[in-house]
Amino acid sequence: MANIQDFSGYNPTWCPGCGDWGIGIAIKQALIQLGLDPSSVGAVFGIGCSGNMNDFLNAYAIHSLHGRAIPNAIGFKIANHKMPVIVIAGDGDTYGEGGNHLMHACRGNHDITVIVHDNGVYGLTTGQSAPTAQKGFKSKSTPTGIIETPINPLALTITSGATFVAQSFAGDAIHTISMIKAGIEHKGFSVVNILQPCVTFNKVNTYQYYLQRVYKLDENYQKNDFKIAVQKSLEINDEKFPLGIIYQNKKATYSDQLPQLKDSTLVDKKRFTDIDQISKLFI
Amino acid sequence: MNFTWLIGGEAGFGIMTTGVVFSKIATRSGYHIFDYIEYPSLIRGGHNAYEVHVSGDDVSHLSPTIDVLVCLNKETYEKHKSRLTPSSLVVFDKEEFEIKEDIKKIIIPFKKILTDLKGQPVMKNTIALGASIGLLGGDIDELIKIISEQFSKKGEEVINFNKQFVQAGYDAVKKNYSNLILNYLVKKAGEDKLVITGNDAFSIGSVIADARVYVAYPMTPSSTVLTDLASWQEKVGMIVRHAEDEISVINTAIGSSFAGVRSAVGTSGGGFALMAEAISFSGITEIPLVVFIAQRPGPATGMPTWTEQGDLLFSVFSGHGEFPKIVLAPGDNEEMIELTAKAYNLADQYQLPVIVMSDMYLSESHKSITKKFVDEFVKNYKVNRGKLINKITNNHFPISKKYLRYQITDDGISPRLIPGTPGYFYQANSYEHLEDGHTSEDAKPRLEQVDKRARKLVTYLAEDFSMPKIYGDLEKSEIVFISWGSTKGIVIEAQKQLKIKNTNSAFIHFNHIYPLDKEKVKSLFEESKKYILVENNSWGQFGKLLMLETGFEIKEKILRYDGRAITAEEIVKYVQTLKR
Repeated sequence: MANIQDFSGYNPTWCPGCGDWGIGIAIKQALIQLGLDPSSVGAVFGIGCSGNMNDFLNAYAIHSLHGRAIPNAIGFKIANHKMPVIVIAGDGDTYGEGGNHLMHACRGNHDITVIVHDNGVYGLTTGQSAPTAQKGFKSKSTPTGIIETPINPLALTITSGATFVAQSFAGDAIHTISMIKAGIEHKGFSVVNILQPCVTFNKVNTYQYYLQRVYKLDENYQKNDFKIAVQKSLEINDEKFPLGIIYQNKKATYSDQLPQLKDSTLVDKKRFTDIDQISKLFI
Repeated sequence: MNFTWLIGGEAGFGIMTTGVVFSKIATRSGYHIFDYIEYPSLIRGGHNAYEVHVSGDDVSHLSPTIDVLVCLNKETYEKHKSRLTPSSLVVFDKEEFEIKEDIKKIIIPFKKILTDLKGQPVMKNTIALGASIGLLGGDIDELIKIISEQFSKKGEEVINFNKQFVQAGYDAVKKNYSNLILNYLVKKAGEDKLVITGNDAFSIGSVIADARVYVAYPMTPSSTVLTDLASWQEKVGMIVRHAEDEISVINTAIGSSFAGVRSAVGTSGGGFALMAEAISFSGITEIPLVVFIAQRPGPATGMPTWTEQGDLLFSVFSGHGEFPKIVLAPGDNEEMIELTAKAYNLADQYQLPVIVMSDMYLSESHKSITKKFVDEFVKNYKVNRGKLINKITNNHFPISKKYLRYQITDDGISPRLIPGTPGYFYQANSYEHLEDGHTSEDAKPRLEQVDKRARKLVTYLAEDFSMPKIYGDLEKSEIVFISWGSTKGIVIEAQKQLKIKNTNSAFIHFNHIYPLDKEKVKSLFEESKKYILVENNSWGQFGKLLMLETGFEIKEKILRYDGRAITAEEIVKYVQTLKR
């Protein structure tokens, strides 16, 4: 079995106190607990402080372009659907630059897990507002307060067709580990939105801010009820943050529905050589 | 023997399908064809025209004149009458419109036949095919056979219903115009031929090369690659994804290529513009990728259903930053199959993006190729995956040794490991990186990696670059044409016509466009000859590239950029003006 050391690359360069530390450890723990090792997991990183985890986490990985981690992961998965593929990216990457990809990946129910570091700011570019920033949030790019209302990642993904949507808080590592594990174990498109303070550039959404506003879903919560899930997801519009699996349902994944993949992964398939089958269509 | 048949009518009434059927009858009757469709960017209401150039020999150009013009509406006659000769035959229904000019008229009562046999308007095409086959001395059984194949899933009743319309058109000619029948399509022995477009050829080449992922977003004139491959995917074991936009298209393919399968994308100029960032990403991560670009006139939405070679320089210099890529531009369907299959090998061997360029003229025109050509090519083609490590054994890579994805090598190419291989891991990094893939912004590894990537093209030029093909006698000819890609057949036809007028010419046709081997290519040129650049664009883009790469400037240029393909006749005229 792999251990933390096996998954550890370079020492992280995150700011002291950054939520990324907790998420980084949670991801490694989740992978270990699932019995994976660096050779058996695919990871695609976005661009940002969170994406910099590429150098700190060992895996078969792509450090992608900003916003494009999800399509890379979809391609990775269709070529080798037996391998778990995770996306590690920020809120700007997932909900801003790559918003269109997110929506359509939900529709496709591709069996990948998207782990989003949601801190409301662009850290790596030194503090501009992200699509999840609360309306009125003052940042370098919105000095008088952001005009747009924030994206609701939970409602957006649930209504777009994601079959697993969870939320956790970077300050609660144990819960975050369990959400990431459940996301990877889920067959289908899974999103884990992790609320995360940026200690350097976001003085509003602090640890204290979240601790006062997060709460765990209770055991009787009906996570497989679409309407209840949508309703629950709307609570974040009022700055109330439910933690747990907001929505989960069973549906055939994208690769489940490809007869080409019935007997083998695409990468291990035997080459097709009967070109006459194609030629005859044109005679 | 050669002749041109053209059918025209309102868009949305089956002209395209009818044209392909005619082309197939010609090839099944022992002839070669080259055809061309003209259509507006509309589904209904515009004018569609489909012309087929039929020849006893291999053909890849159009003729300036029309021998049989089938007019399903008046507009067809008005638009194309300037191409008629005194011996041309014009098929129309005088119930629909009158022709005042003194021409050879073949009046077919389309309207009456449709009413009598209770047919749909689209069956006018079937009548027209019957009449055309009758008029050209063709074999009606061949036509009935194709119609039966087309409707085979719909059952005997539908087949028989359609047969009536074939027969009615055929009989109308035989009864009233037996004196005008041209025996151009008399059945003769010939090899099996495929009637394919350039897009079909790219699709066939991709299957031969064992491409397993194709991703695209529909964009004219590249879309039929997507529809071809989508319809074959289960049969050939490929996955075809129609993604949400071209950015997702190329990044999906990069993901699947990273995972170890041959992957390609296809688009036209506008879609390629969206892909440019990821071309650069493929460059630095050294993830192989084949990109098919079917050009159309730009800028922006431009003229979607017309032709141009206007994206050459954009393709060659696409992507930010400095990184190697290879650009190929096949001249016809045979070259499209060969170079497509080669592109997948080159992408794997050199671990970089390889662009295969086409344009509407090549992508959507059918040209017949012999089945023998395809069979021979399949027999000889070898999949070369370069330095891909498929199954690691401890002998090759002892576990103790660290695998270096971006290892510095003399040829610039580093071993590439298929993800999932036990005992190893690595990252493909969009950031500049060390040999092991980790991010680095230090000066030394930066220089090493830039130089390593650049060396791949040095290796390519030495090992896999092909010099342009030369048609005609380069030493003896004073006039030398230079062109690239789809204009090949047109220039060769111009050479033939010039030869008849006692003008010898040579033709240097480039299909390995970028990078060029400076010294070797330069040696083809000397100051004393008259070089003429032939391109379907307004800037003479290949001329500029040639100058940049070799320092040689071509001053005479035949450039066409009205959305139509250059014709052999224009080229001949240009040469004659030069000589005067």
